Amino acid sequence: MSENQNSSNCRISRNVLIKAPGLLPMLYTPREIAEDLDVPETTLRDWLNHGAPHSRDESNHIWIDGKQFAAWVDSQRNARKKPTHPLQAGEGFCMRCNAIVKIKDGEIRSVKGHLSHLKGKCPICGGIVNRGIWNAGSSELPQG
Amino acid sequence: MLDRQNYLKVKLFLKYSRVVHGRSSLQISNDFEHLKSLLLWAGSQPFGSVPTINTSLFDFLIQKAVKGLDQAELQSILNTNQRFLLWVKAMFPVEFQNIRLSWIMKISAISEGKEVII
Repeated sequence: MSENQNSSNCRISRNVLIKAPGLLPMLYTPREIAEDLDVPETTLRDWLNHGAPHSRDESNHIWIDGKQFAAWVDSQRNARKKPTHPLQAGEGFCMRCNAIVKIKDGEIRSVKGHLSHLKGKCPICGGIVNRGIWNAGSSELPQG
Repeated sequence: MLDRQNYLKVKLFLKYSRVVHGRSSLQISNDFEHLKSLLLWAGSQPFGSVPTINTSLFDFLIQKAVKGLDQAELQSILNTNQRFLLWVKAMFPVEFQNIRLSWIMKISAISEGKEVII
């Protein structure tokens, strides 16, 4: 019977993130998996309480599928990643507003090689907004 | 699913290597990585019946090999697996009576004609 209680994000160490994909497609006991991942067994049992996939047999012994556990560790890593917003053409990050804005009155200046510098104003606060651009084209300039 | 008894024998071998032969934790870690290929090759079959598997361990490694595995690394994996099988035959003679010594000795020999560039 599979158990999943209290699923929330757990703090997974880098060492575990590296070692988890090496887990084998077999059933492990908590002690074995803790040894293989080099973490204390109490930490592992804490992860099980926070939603790590595991099952119990008729004797109430805990079994952990190595591949399922590795997938769960990977999902925890992805859950901790903050959502990103890549800058679009003509956009920059205003340090005053602390937000992504459309650059007003932008000017592109070549720096070196493929690297260019886009300088303009923030439409909200009027402050100067700078942005580095690789392979700048006319599309980088804000329209209007 | 892999055979748990195989996994437990591998763990026992690693403990024996550490305690009796004094192998370092890095060597133990490398040995375990090498023996994972043997565990995956055997799959759900107990080690006692691995000579009946159609695909040889060498061919399995070639098929499953990740990029960058050179001949020296391949030889090292085969040597570790051979060392393990010799140990397991010595420690569990009844269980592994079907595995012949000549078969174990052939494991680490890379055939001359085989292409091993991966």
